[in-house]
Amino acid sequence: MEKKMNVKDLINIGLFTAIYVIVTFAFGMTGYIPIFMVLLPFLISFGAGIPFMLFLTKVKKFGMVSIMGALLTLVMFGTGHGWPVLVIGLITSLLSDLILSSGKYRSRAKTVAGFCVFNGWVIGNMLPLYIMRDSYFESLRSGYGDEYAAILMSLLSLWMVPVLIVLLIAGGILGAMLGRKVLKKHFERAGIA
Amino acid sequence: MTDALLSVKASPQAIKLDPRTKLFLMFVISTIMISGSIEGEAAYVRLVLMCVPFVLLLTVKRLKEALLYVFFCIVAWFGEAFLVYSTTGILNILIVMLSGLILRFIPIVVLGYYLVSSTHVGEFVAAMERMRVSQKLIIPMSVMFRFFPTVAEESRAIGDAMRMRGLGNKGFFSNPVTLLEYRLVPLMVSIVKIGDELSAAALTRGLGGPGKRTNIFRIGFGPWDVVLLTLVTAAAAVYLLA
Repeated sequence: MEKKMNVKDLINIGLFTAIYVIVTFAFGMTGYIPIFMVLLPFLISFGAGIPFMLFLTKVKKFGMVSIMGALLTLVMFGTGHGWPVLVIGLITSLLSDLILSSGKYRSRAKTVAGFCVFNGWVIGNMLPLYIMRDSYFESLRSGYGDEYAAILMSLLSLWMVPVLIVLLIAGGILGAMLGRKVLKKHFERAGIA
Repeated sequence: MTDALLSVKASPQAIKLDPRTKLFLMFVISTIMISGSIEGEAAYVRLVLMCVPFVLLLTVKRLKEALLYVFFCIVAWFGEAFLVYSTTGILNILIVMLSGLILRFIPIVVLGYYLVSSTHVGEFVAAMERMRVSQKLIIPMSVMFRFFPTVAEESRAIGDAMRMRGLGNKGFFSNPVTLLEYRLVPLMVSIVKIGDELSAAALTRGLGGPGKRTNIFRIGFGPWDVVLLTLVTAAAAVYLLA
């Protein structure tokens, strides 16, 4: 296996990042309906499974997922999702790269794990809601009393974060499984995987 | 979609900013907007920064969007400053959530819109090269921007084909997974093929060659860049010290 990335690999990374971004935005639109906001991590990691699994068969070199993550978070940052996603996205994609390369981008369990970790960037997208919450309720409490502040706190409460992470992982596992199935059913037969 | 990052020609603009300035603005404004409140000295900083996207929208001749932006900002600010204290119950919660969200995110979203609609891909690449970003990031990035319209076009064609065969979106609720498969698999196949062609074309044009590539776009800091950079840096300094 060649170690260094060539131009073809870089172009492939760009292509699959474009698809990933489009899938993300397509599902992200549903976030305007409040209840879907909570389901967003699940939907995004489920929907991105097919492209991601094909992506893994295309490049197979360390750094592929990191570059994808860097671009993805840049797009998210550039479209106004705040800075936390930059930090979280880079960490999760690097971790995901490490997991995947330890399985040589082939091992079944490790691709599923790597995919789940990679999708962790979605949490970074939602983090501003929780960061803002503290400073926000601080001023609210001083102006309006504890009762209302408490009700609002529970709506945006921190226990939602673990729920989001669980949804994310569930979506990731299902998405990865679907992706691998589709890979076998279509792409390998068509000779493009 | 008229976004310039996706098209060949950028929209006409009165003030041309360096892409690096735009990125810096984005970073500072998104940081301060998300974490700030509307009380104390920080409120003035936020007010000043909220004007920046408005002025920038005007420079790319988006008057309608700019006015809409101002309208939303004023309503949300009013809501957060007064209505929060004079309403009760569910209404209060709704106002608090809505005005808080709008006030914190609209400026950033509008700035993002400006960033995308006023910057040409080539310009952005030139700026990245000037910032000594690795080619490993620049090449995939330009491919990605080049591909957004293509993916959208392919996806539309697939949608048409599905409708012709009576497989439109109506099966969505009964079988979302199958629908996802129907849509994504043909898309992937065509994208992979286009990707192969694109890399062949790019290689023949010398992408990835050892020489230094030139760029048709001239970028550099002008007086307006200096004005905005100073303004935003000063705002950040006040915000941090206050």
